Amino acid sequence: MPKYADDPTWADIVPLPTDEGGPNPLAAIAYSDDYSETMSYLRAVMAAKEHSPRVLDLTEDLIDMNPAHYTVWLYRAETLFALHSDLRAELEWLNETALAHQKNYQIWHHRNLIVDRLCGEEQGVVDEEGLWKAECEFVEQMFERDAKNYHVWSYRQWLVRRFGLWGPVELEFTERMLARDLRNNSAWNHRWFVVNGRAEMEGDGGLGVEDPEVRAREVKFAMEAVAKTPQNQSPWNYLRGIVRKTGMSLGHLKGFAEQYASLKEPDEVRSSFALDLLAEVYVEEKKAKEAGEVLDLLATRYDPIRKHYWQYRKGLLGVEGAAAA
Amino acid sequence: MAILSSNESLLEPSLDKARHVKYWTRCLKTYLPNQYTGNDSNRMYLAYFIISALDLLDALKTVPSEQERRDHVNWIYHCQHPNGGFRMWPGTDFGKLSNEKNAQYDPANIPGTYFALATLLIYDDDLTRVRRADCLEWLRQMQRPDGSFGETIVNGRIEGGSDSRLGFCAAGIRHILRGRTSGSIDIDGQLIQDIELDAFVGCVRMAESFDGGIADEPFHEPQAGYTFCSLGALALIDRLNRPNGHDVKETNGPVDPLRVLDWLVWRQTELTDPDAGLDTELCTDEDAPHTQHAEGQHIPKGDKGDHGMPAKQSPDKTVGGSMFDLLVDGAGMNGRTNKVADTCYAFWVGASLHIMETPTLCDQSAARRYLLGKTQHGVLGGFGKFPGDLPDLYHSYLGLAALSLAGSDQVKPLDGGMCLSREARERLPTIWKSWRVDA
Repeated sequence: MPKYADDPTWADIVPLPTDEGGPNPLAAIAYSDDYSETMSYLRAVMAAKEHSPRVLDLTEDLIDMNPAHYTVWLYRAETLFALHSDLRAELEWLNETALAHQKNYQIWHHRNLIVDRLCGEEQGVVDEEGLWKAECEFVEQMFERDAKNYHVWSYRQWLVRRFGLWGPVELEFTERMLARDLRNNSAWNHRWFVVNGRAEMEGDGGLGVEDPEVRAREVKFAMEAVAKTPQNQSPWNYLRGIVRKTGMSLGHLKGFAEQYASLKEPDEVRSSFALDLLAEVYVEEKKAKEAGEVLDLLATRYDPIRKHYWQYRKGLLGVEGAAAA
Repeated sequence: MAILSSNESLLEPSLDKARHVKYWTRCLKTYLPNQYTGNDSNRMYLAYFIISALDLLDALKTVPSEQERRDHVNWIYHCQHPNGGFRMWPGTDFGKLSNEKNAQYDPANIPGTYFALATLLIYDDDLTRVRRADCLEWLRQMQRPDGSFGETIVNGRIEGGSDSRLGFCAAGIRHILRGRTSGSIDIDGQLIQDIELDAFVGCVRMAESFDGGIADEPFHEPQAGYTFCSLGALALIDRLNRPNGHDVKETNGPVDPLRVLDWLVWRQTELTDPDAGLDTELCTDEDAPHTQHAEGQHIPKGDKGDHGMPAKQSPDKTVGGSMFDLLVDGAGMNGRTNKVADTCYAFWVGASLHIMETPTLCDQSAARRYLLGKTQHGVLGGFGKFPGDLPDLYHSYLGLAALSLAGSDQVKPLDGGMCLSREARERLPTIWKSWRVDA
């Protein structure tokens, strides 16, 4: 059923089929007639560098079937800008496309471009706050489908940087996401970014967790999460991240870790991550024997899948002990 | 329990090699199903999966005929760009209608180039038809001032992401086309500069996360695929800090290889059900449903057991002698903290550990059992993403590659750093010799 060949709007175009160069092309796909035809028309208009409203329809059609086509997005953006198209309508269309193609990267790159353009071209005219609020809302809608979508989290970070959303509202967003799933590591990572990103990436204020008050708040936040889910690695990693970044002693976390695992009660371990942390605390305290015992507990009882790794870590104890002595 | 011998091999399912060969033969000789249309622009990597998989299964010399092999190689060269590099597919080439104005829509592509060169190598091509000087010159132009690499260059602008997947492919192109020679080299009287190695290393170091993994960009969530690409790229340019290395250099990456190693080994997980909720805390042995433990049983999606939680969530799950369950069950790898196992990460993680020269720090036997017992497709051959899934090219190839690294003797030995057979990589020194570059 030809779609373009029978349409008078496209009568002036001579379709340009793809040349495979010879017999037996690799990874040849059983294209639908619809796709083959759309590609041939797209190739013809791209070759002619046509920038017209019908190009927008054609690229939309093609992208719907093959969103990974890397130059069609650039071509579409050029056409949109050449025609001074309504970029808000483009965002609307992108909403649907993003929902239909969750794993596609180009869609988000294109979205960056459009939002940037809206703010740049219509500076002073565009309601920036309305724009980023709508973008943030859309992102949350995407997270309803997949709360760990990598592209969407990357886009969320871009929004934070682009519009300077480093404040409490974004922190509350991470809390909202974590309330839904305390094991969502993407949300933990975003929190780390919101707390520390500004100091490191913008260099315009804030110390992140190196500010004692922020550190206390974040340590408390992570500890409360551990209390609810002891066998959840994300808040443990978050705590260790704070320790490493601030240079505080691991010993500060010893008492906390011992609530979940201790050598005194080897049968009552509630978290393998607590054991792992405890092993490092003992290393810091230069108690190689205790560290070894903890690593043995991991290797033999609480985390045998990583047995070889725990043994490897035990092997490093001698080396580190020797270096310390 | 006592009836189960401690001899692990008794419990290990085997690779149904004939079915895998059949799967890949179908991929090579018939059209790929219509569902691959969304990957039309990625055909060069689909081609690489097909050819490399047949190579790993030792079927590349028997499945395609001599004529077909020649046609395949010609197709790859047909995708070579006149100004250097390769396209991902012929779809952007305007043929006779190509001109200076529309050239911007027909760029060479970084992953396309790496996969084209890798596939040629697997096919034992001598690479003499590669526009080597043009390609290396183009490669230099693909690097941004911050050290990262893009995907294409359009109107003088470097387009595409800036993540380590592109960095890995760029490092691979450099490795294949100029060996271990750094600095400028002379190709047919043309002096070709090297890429900026220090700047690239800087990109990787910046993308190391607070928890030890490596992300695509600073502050993004670390992910095993990006971690592999980062480590792999550093290894290809001889700038990798390894955990057993005696001195960790600031001109190398990662900053702290031991922490990266720690993050990597934590990727191994017994969680397999993508639909199972993860919101319930520690279950004791008594209330942990054992529904996932039966030998060879495929777990239907949505089967959450009685308590809506995966059975192996608890760390003390293994208390009480469930080691045997573990032997039967296997454990794959996830890509990020708190996610379930997925076939492809058995490769991304396994290969990362290989590159770090610590391949046995994960449980390779459990990884093999996960792949062979859970995601290998019993009827069609190939591997699915999750247990019970239909196979696809991506997971089927990386499943085979991961098996090889995890010690299976049913697949050819794999070079983890380049993700092709060792046999194929070992052809490089001869080629380098003909170009008079360092091996």
